[in-house]
Formats: sequence, structure tokens, C-alpha cells
Amino acid sequence: MTRGLLWRVILILVVLVGFAWAIVPTKDTPEPIRRGLDLKGGTHLVMRVNVGDAVRLETDQASEMLKAQAKKGNLPIPATKRVNDTTFVAVLPADTPTSGYETIAKDYIPSFDVGRTPEGAMQFKMKTASLTAIERDTITHTVETIDNRVNALGVTEPYIAPESNNRIVIQLPGVDDPARVKDIIKTTAQLQFRLVEGEPASDPTATLNGVAPNMKTEVDILPGTREDALGRAAGVEYYAVRKTVPVTGTDLKNARVQKGQLGQPNVGFSLTPDGARKFGDLTGANIKRRLAIVLDNKVVSAPVINSQINESGVIEGNFTQEQAADLSLVLRSGSLPASLTTLEERTVGPSLGRDSIHQGVLASLVGFIALILAVLLYYKGAGINAVLALLLNLIILLGMMAIFHATLTLPGIAGIILTLGMAIDSNVLVFERIREELRDGKVVRAAIENGFSRAFGTIIDTHMTTIISALFLFQFGTGPIKGFAVTLLIGLFASVFTAFFVSRVIFDVMYKAQNRPTEISI
Amino acid sequence: MQIFVNSKFDFVRWRFYAVSFSVLFMLLGLAMFLKHGVNWGIDFAGGATVTLKFRDAVPMDRLRADLADASIQQYGPPEARSVLIRLPELKKEVDYAGLVVAKLNSDLNPQAAAKLDLNFNGRDRLAELLYSVDPDAKGTVPTAKTYYQDVAQNIINKRSEVGIFTNMAQVTSAPGVTTRIAGVLNDKTFLGAFNVLNQETVGPQVGHDLQQKAMWAVILSTLAMGLYLWLRFDLMFGASAIVCIVHDVLMSLAFLMMINGEFSLNIVAALLLIVGFSINDTVVMYDRVRENKRKLKTRMTLEEQLNLAMNQTLSRTILTSGSVVIVLVALLLFGGKVIHEFAWILLIGVLAGTYSTVTIVPAVAIAWNKFTGRGHDLSGPVARTRTDNPPRQQTPTPQQRKRRAG
Repeated sequence: MTRGLLWRVILILVVLVGFAWAIVPTKDTPEPIRRGLDLKGGTHLVMRVNVGDAVRLETDQASEMLKAQAKKGNLPIPATKRVNDTTFVAVLPADTPTSGYETIAKDYIPSFDVGRTPEGAMQFKMKTASLTAIERDTITHTVETIDNRVNALGVTEPYIAPESNNRIVIQLPGVDDPARVKDIIKTTAQLQFRLVEGEPASDPTATLNGVAPNMKTEVDILPGTREDALGRAAGVEYYAVRKTVPVTGTDLKNARVQKGQLGQPNVGFSLTPDGARKFGDLTGANIKRRLAIVLDNKVVSAPVINSQINESGVIEGNFTQEQAADLSLVLRSGSLPASLTTLEERTVGPSLGRDSIHQGVLASLVGFIALILAVLLYYKGAGINAVLALLLNLIILLGMMAIFHATLTLPGIAGIILTLGMAIDSNVLVFERIREELRDGKVVRAAIENGFSRAFGTIIDTHMTTIISALFLFQFGTGPIKGFAVTLLIGLFASVFTAFFVSRVIFDVMYKAQNRPTEISI
Repeated sequence: MQIFVNSKFDFVRWRFYAVSFSVLFMLLGLAMFLKHGVNWGIDFAGGATVTLKFRDAVPMDRLRADLADASIQQYGPPEARSVLIRLPELKKEVDYAGLVVAKLNSDLNPQAAAKLDLNFNGRDRLAELLYSVDPDAKGTVPTAKTYYQDVAQNIINKRSEVGIFTNMAQVTSAPGVTTRIAGVLNDKTFLGAFNVLNQETVGPQVGHDLQQKAMWAVILSTLAMGLYLWLRFDLMFGASAIVCIVHDVLMSLAFLMMINGEFSLNIVAALLLIVGFSINDTVVMYDRVRENKRKLKTRMTLEEQLNLAMNQTLSRTILTSGSVVIVLVALLLFGGKVIHEFAWILLIGVLAGTYSTVTIVPAVAIAWNKFTGRGHDLSGPVARTRTDNPPRQQTPTPQQRKRRAG
């Protein structure tokens, strides 16, 4: 064996051992190649983040700020109205100069451009840059929050990522109770503590009538659950709660499930130092009044404040154990800045995944064996060469998938055996060439030499065309299809290596050892 | 073993029959399309599908009564006791499949209000139940949680193995189930009527986006292929490659129409793959035409050149397509329902690709040659259609131009 050949053999062995190593299951990686949701079972969700929620909130806060600063500066308080998500107008009393408000806008709400409506009112429109920033932050924050929640649920290897058009993709392998997970993910979990005005009543107008006249514009009417004498849910009632929100979910430090006096599950919470101060002020100044605990614009409960509360409290409601557990989980993980809409859901139960992998593996094995037999039958000695190259191709393909953490999906399995079918093509091109050269009367070595060099350009072309389509497939695909495209791409690169390099070395080892080989089995 | 050694088939002569056959095949597909329309899967049409496996015989009448607007069909063999429920598109974005499953659950499993359904619920709920009852007295330490989670996981794995629990003995035979745990299971759980194999909801917006994306992906990849081959070979080849790809894709689609198959994401994947793969035979054949032009001394018409190249590459074409067909047939036979149509479409596409290489491509090449009225430069000065007069000055191919420039 010549030196160059020896090195090439060593290189092939290193590649072989390296990739084989990657696919051997170890203690740390019992599953070296990650299975996709379609093989493992799990849930794939595409959700739209309704970023408008966050933008609207920002606009509302800006109009509140304008009013608050006007009050502080002894300017007439304008009547404000939001016209769309990014714009609000402020109507000033007649003959009021606008300069004072413009200064406020410049100092306190710099993210808004000030203009005028045709009717002469001031118009505040959010700057495009601020809008983009809010949308971006909302998405990032949403992804983080969902990540927290999913991790708290103990889902292994979740995938959560933003996509274009304010969408996020969530993949939860192994989750077989999608309804619950979805509920947990989608709960906005905006917790607020707000003072109650008047008394709750069974319809909104009655509630509003019970509120003192000067407070009527300062309250929101929110629904809550009515409880009967035994504390069971019995219909809906409406509360008038103040618009100001002194303490929110962001002031929470922790939340956990507790048992109440009757053994019913409650959610206990503790507050951050800052939150505890605010909560202490609020409860201390309002003893004997009702404090509404509002979750996602619904009153969960509205207990009477009996004494000043500083660091911790309890949320009571008609919770089951599971509801209490889920609520404490979402409170711990923080609230979502915007609501979510499910656009797409695909859930595969574990038993279907199991069937699919069985069928996929069976089909691959049958196909692979049939392929090997066909090649051996047709090419005999050279067939062994092709089969070796094919096996190495398979090992490289699987090894690469393990190394790059590519996901194996059911179409991906089809991709693997299809790639093997195509890898054969390269060998066939070379072998047919060698046969032709032999028929033309070339000696064995020259025939091999010419066979490889002549087939090279063709093989590159056939691979390039398939690579182009695999790239489009990758670009187009979602989930399983993407897995398929990745498998195909890796397989194509591996096939150039094995068909050209490996197969050539095998021929060289077989025929270069002899000084002048006169026969070749092909 | 060798086949087609020095074969001398006159492929070019058959081209009119072949084109007629392809056109007929496509027309038949078109007729089916006009008759039935496209059977869009939920990936594109939006809507929901739910696949359920039942503990006992499938309560078909009950399902039909519950889900008036759904199409319900048996999934797999009768002994699998499974059904596939398809629900038409909703205009709103709601969790459609989830709602349907919840409705069926409340109808078919009245016990679920009081007990936990082991055929319906997942690991977490079961683990929570066991943890809250704590039959093995593990306390409230974190290890207790993992202990019960492991037991619950074993039970769910057992369910995946048997498909659906039909009796409690199956449940309690799962590893890690102690007598006390079994007691709790008998007391607080029951075996519901069905197990959800798969549920999918696709909102109208996603479906619409995907239709657009799929169409562009197929069109752009076809054009990209034509562009690549134009650069590697020349304009005529790029153009005939596009014709060839469009032919193969249309043949596959026509077949899909004939079997009234569902147009799903997997089908698009198959079509994209056909775009990349079926062209390979043509690439190999043209490569040979180009090589022959350089090598052969004798003057040949374009028809003769094409015939020669096709015969020279014939055994390779048959072998390669043969090996891909072998694996596709294996997929078709053993790959399961999920990829059945995918395998069919690929199979048709691969066969169409091979067939179009020896029929449609020469037809396009010869037609091109006649319409442009000059010998095509790919085949050089010696290539003339039979009616042509003596050779003119050779125009350089892009490669030759490049070589001269570089």
C-alpha cells in the first residue's frame, strides 16, 4: 500500500469511528438522535401574539400620564379618547393654549408625536420606532414567559421560538395532555389588586348605580363568580373596581398552593420588598373595605381587608387542586404582555408515534436490504464496494444528525432511505463508466481512473439539482418537513464523499495492491 | 450481470406517442380535477382532524349524531377500532379539535366528572393524583413527586404499547405499580371509551399562508433548477429542463387527482423532491450528449446524438430509478398510513422523471431546434435536424466563452 493510500484509509476509518461514536447511546444521551413530535408524541403549536394588546396599553398609559401631569401642573384636564391602538386625541376646553401640553408630551411621553385633528383637538400618535420596539419587546417577553411556564411544567426539551408575523412556534415533545398545557401557556395571568367601590350586583348597570356619583368615571365594571352560602360557584356577579391599579402581579415574589381552613386549595403569595411596601400602604389605608383580586380582567375574589397586610397573602377562590396548582404556576412565571391566539395545533399521541416509528424502521430495513441485494446481484464484487460506501453513508448521515441535533421525523426516515437510493446513483454512474471503459479495451487501472474522473461532473450536477430542491423544501417546510429537508441535505453531502472518495479508496485497495490487475468483478 | 449493453433503441421516434400519452394522462387528471376539485388536507384548507382509538367497538352512530358536520371514517383495519374525524374549516381561530375531543369526552365518558380517565389523560394528571393521595407514603418531599411521576410514566408507556387499556389488569401490570397504588387506581380512575391518537387544528390564516408558500416553493425551485442548468449547460437545456420538471409534477398531480388523494404538506414535500430528483436522468443524458460532441469524429444529426446518449445512459437510468423505486415500494408497503400518499406521489414522480427523459426531453430538444431554425450549439456543428443544410459557423457555448474569457 502506498503512503497516500494509507492516509486515505486512515481518514476513512477516523470518519467511520467518529460518526459511529456519535450514534452510540450513552448514559448521558440515551437517545442520540432526537425524535420529532410525530415519532415521539407531543404537541406542536403556532400562536399569534396579539401585540396590539401591549400597544394599546402603552397608548392608554400615555393618555393617563398626560392627564396626571396636567393635573399636577394645574392645567385644565383634557378629555382623552383612544382612536386606534397607537393614537389618542385630547380635547381641550375652548381657548386653552396647547403649549403646556406639548411640553408635557415632550418630557413625559416622548414616544408620541403631537399633531392636530381636523376638529382642532390634539392628537398623539405613537412613533414608528417606538411601535416596533414595543412589538419586539412584547414578542421577546412572551417567549420568555412561555419558556418559564413550560419549564415549570417539567417538559423536556421544549422548543419555543418567534417567527415572522408576530407568531411563535411552540413544540412540546412528550406532552400527552395538550389541553392543559395550552391553558397554562395561554393564560395571560395579569394579576391586579384593585379597590372595590359600592357592592357587587347581578347586572353591570345595577353595580354602576351603586357607586358614589363622583367615582362613577373612576371605576371599571368587571365580572366575578358569585358564591352561595357554602362557598360554591353560583352564577356571575359584577364588581365596580377602581381604575387605578396599585399592586400588580409583577410585585409578587412567589406563589404556591396552600390548604385553607376547610382543606380547600388556595394560592398563597409573597411580595417583593417594594411590592410589600405598596401593599402595606394600600391595605393599611383601606381597612374594612373590599379589595378585589383581579386575574385577566375577572374578579377571582374580593375579600374584606381586616388588617394591614405587608408581605404575604392568600388568593381564595373556588379552586380545584389542579386549578390552584396551575394558577400558582402562572403567577410564578410572570404575566404575558399580550394575549395569544392559537393558529395551529398538531398533537400526536404517544401510541401513534410508536406505531409510526415501527413502520418507518420496518420500511427502511426492507428497502435497504432489497437495495443491497439488487446492487450485489448486479455488480458482484464492485457491489460489495457500493454496499460498503452505502453503509458508511448511513453512518455519516445518522452521526451528523446526532452531532447537529437534527430531529428525526417520519418523513425524515423516508428521506434517509430515499437518500440511500440516490447515493446508489453515484456508484452506478461510476460503475457503468468503468464497464464502458473496459468494453473499450482499457486496462483495469485506467478504467477505474477514467470511470471516476468522467463521472465526476455528472455526479456534481445531479447532486446540485437535488440540493437546490432540498433548500427550497427547508425554506418552505415546518416541523416534520424541515426535518426531512435536513436529513436529505446531510445525506447528499455524505453521498458525494462516499461515492467519490470512499468507493475510490476501496477500489485502490483492492486493485492497486496487485501490480497489474487484469480482472475486475463489476 | 448486465442489461442494455450497446442497446440501439430509437427513442426519438416514439416521442409523438409519448407526448400524446402524457397529454391524455394529464387531461384525465384535469377531468378528475374538474369533477371533484382538489381534496385539500387541513394543512391548506384549515379545519381539524381527530384520530381516536376506541376501547370497544366504534360507536359510529353516536359519533355521527354528536358531530353533525364532520366526516367520520374508519382508520386502519376494523380490528384497530380507530376512526378519523375531519371537521370543515371554521372562520374563526379556535381550538377546534380540542373542543371536539372535550365534547366527545363529556358524552362518552360520564364517569369523568368523578374519576380520572386513564385512556384519556396524560402522565401529569395521573402523577398529581397519586402524589396527592400518596398510597406508598412517600411524604411531600420532592423525591415523592418523581417517584409517582415515574410510576405514571410507566403506566402511560404501557398504554402506548397496548394502544388502549381494555381492562385494569393491563394498567396494574405496568412496572412500579404497587398493590397500594393499584388500589388507588381501582378506586379513583376508570378506563374511558377512547384514546386520542392524534389531533390537529389549522386555523384559516395558516392554511391560506401555506397554500401561497407551497405554490411559490414549487415554482421558484423549478425556475432555480432551470437557471442552474442554463448556467451549467445552456439555454435550451434550461428551458427543456423546466418543461421536463413541469411535466413530471403535472403527471404526479394528475395521478393524485385520479386517486382523489388528499393534498397535504407531505404532498408538497414530495413535489419539491420530484423537482430536484426527476431532472437527474435528464442531466446525465445531456452530459453525455455534450461529451459525445467533443469526442466523436463522425457527423450526426441531433436525433442520432440524442438516441446515442440515451442508449449509452440507459442502464444507469434504469438502475438508479430502479433502486429508488425499490425503496419507495418498501415505503408504500410498510411505511404506514401517514406517508402512504407521499410514497405514491414520489413513486409516480420518479417514474415520470425517467420516462420523460427518454421521451419528452428529446421531443422538446428537437422542437426547439426546428423552431429556432439552427443547429443547437450544445450538439455542435455536426448536429442538424435531417432537413438542414450544411453546417454553419459554430457558436460557442457559455462554458467555452467562459474558458476563453478566463
